[in-house]
Amino acid sequence: MVRFFLEHERLVEFVEHLQRQRRVIAPHRRGERSFVFQEVEDPAAVVLDYPRTLQSIRKFFLPPREELLAFDLTDQSFEAPEPEPIDAVFLGVHSYDMAALARLDHSFSTGNPERNYLARRQGALFVGVTFEPDAWHFSGSVGIEPDDTDGCDVFLARLLDGYVLDVLTEAGRRLVEGFELPPYEGPRPPAHPFHQHIYVPQSRLSGIMGHSFEHPVWAEAAQGCVGCGTCNLVCPTCYCFDVAENVDITATKGYRERSWDGCTLRRFSEVAGGEVFREHLAARQRHRVLRKFKYISDATGMPWCVGCGRCTSACPAGISIAAIVNRIVGDAERVPVAPI
Amino acid sequence: MNLQQLKDTGEGQDLYLPVMAEITGVRKLTALENLYTVRLPGGVDLGHQPGQFVEVSIFGVGEAPFSISSSPTRPGMFELGIRRVGMLTDVLAGYTAGQRIGVRGPFGHGIDVERFRGRDVLIVAGGIGLVPMRSMIQYVIDRRDAFGRLIVCYGSRSDRELLFTDELEQWRRAPRTEVHVTVDHPGDTWKGNVGVITTLIPGLDLDLQNLACCVCGPPVMYRFALLALRSRGVKERDIWMSLERRMKCGVGKCGHCQINGSYVCQDGPVYHYPDIKGLQEALE
Repeated sequence: MVRFFLEHERLVEFVEHLQRQRRVIAPHRRGERSFVFQEVEDPAAVVLDYPRTLQSIRKFFLPPREELLAFDLTDQSFEAPEPEPIDAVFLGVHSYDMAALARLDHSFSTGNPERNYLARRQGALFVGVTFEPDAWHFSGSVGIEPDDTDGCDVFLARLLDGYVLDVLTEAGRRLVEGFELPPYEGPRPPAHPFHQHIYVPQSRLSGIMGHSFEHPVWAEAAQGCVGCGTCNLVCPTCYCFDVAENVDITATKGYRERSWDGCTLRRFSEVAGGEVFREHLAARQRHRVLRKFKYISDATGMPWCVGCGRCTSACPAGISIAAIVNRIVGDAERVPVAPI
Repeated sequence: MNLQQLKDTGEGQDLYLPVMAEITGVRKLTALENLYTVRLPGGVDLGHQPGQFVEVSIFGVGEAPFSISSSPTRPGMFELGIRRVGMLTDVLAGYTAGQRIGVRGPFGHGIDVERFRGRDVLIVAGGIGLVPMRSMIQYVIDRRDAFGRLIVCYGSRSDRELLFTDELEQWRRAPRTEVHVTVDHPGDTWKGNVGVITTLIPGLDLDLQNLACCVCGPPVMYRFALLALRSRGVKERDIWMSLERRMKCGVGKCGHCQINGSYVCQDGPVYHYPDIKGLQEALE
């Protein structure tokens, strides 16, 4: 590994260096308080010091809407679009979003490996950056620290006047090559502490959550929940989808499209004839949370929540996933935890 | 060669592209249900197990899962018994022989026929639950020597809604086979049993030491069918059940069919009862 120092003043120059090699996707400010990943047009608009983006980089590899096939009704033929690799440089990605991407990789490459996702997933490079946890981040409690470099080719650790730049892979070396940087001798700065925690080691979480089926916390969470699906929509590890047909105005051509779906939406578990298997919001909240902390974890040994805090920060009813888990943990461990 | 082998088996698979198949026959079962005979390109076999399902699509209308109603012992085609309940099935109701539909599959975990082999087979089917169970019934009849007695219990809301009425008679005439039918709301001409399906179970002559049972029906039926079977002394480990969910992708991705951590399109739709006994949300 090679370690350099990147001054704040040279950040724009660095982005331009990356742009000469590939298209660059990085966080930008959107409105007063929000941030989004988008392709860089103006290097000066890139923001590397941000709490979290509205959507993770999931949206590039699993687009909100995606054409699965295009059909011609006149002869009942169809064609499948060729998914293009997203071979950009992703600049300024936080560790929990890299961890979420690894989980999506698992979901789409195990069981029945899906070509659509795996084709897009080829070739991208990642430049990670540290973050300062705010009131909603709790990724430390699920084993993801702000300075974890897993999956990154280059990693930036923020200092007051710049970044400690670590080159982690051969692809990362080529990415930085040709951009003159002074070496940096010292250690990386210590990671910032978290303000939000889950009060049990992650190895025990799945076991504790497995006994939570009848816990009153689900009904309590459901009291505020409006079933809007926002928590699913912003989650970087949610990957459930719906499929629908779109026919163009000539009624001769159209396409079959998949779009993000959410298990907190009422129609998600509906079957033919109108029966809904998770009619109550409590059952839907339970399914959402246990999918992150039990169902998939049981099979993989890892929490499927990465502690990014998006679902909590975006929830119009202020429902906190960490508070739900802590209520259950608190009762299981008999330690006092504030109500949600 | 079967349908799965027609597809790309590279690292990432095209999971969502149908094979265009031809409807070769449509038979009206009741006012609401039709039986479609489907032929794959080149007449290849679907390669399914009883209890599995396929995704059927019509371009511009949509795609939905349907259980396969015929047995793999009857090659060269497969059959789908389909009730009109929504947009896709309404359009399908107007389809005639010669028209084409998209087919993906077969998907899911069907009936472990090996675990039924040599044993008495008890089928408990409520309403449209007979459609997937017909695949197993045909299988047992076609391999009659491989199984013990075949006992079919079938309940329907009314005699007008009974499915496969001609075949019920044929099945009755098969060796070591009995067929019990009941309806909840009989018409004036109905002379058979009256009552919900669970009323058939107490009177059955069962060899509890050598029985394998498969249950399929509307959501509300399972709890009562289980109670009736358990009170007859049928062991939990001898019960399988086929569950309904809306499997949109069929390949364990889209999430719609999940019961807790189990994808019905992968682990089901046919489950061994001990495996789902503790699964909340599985049975009503």
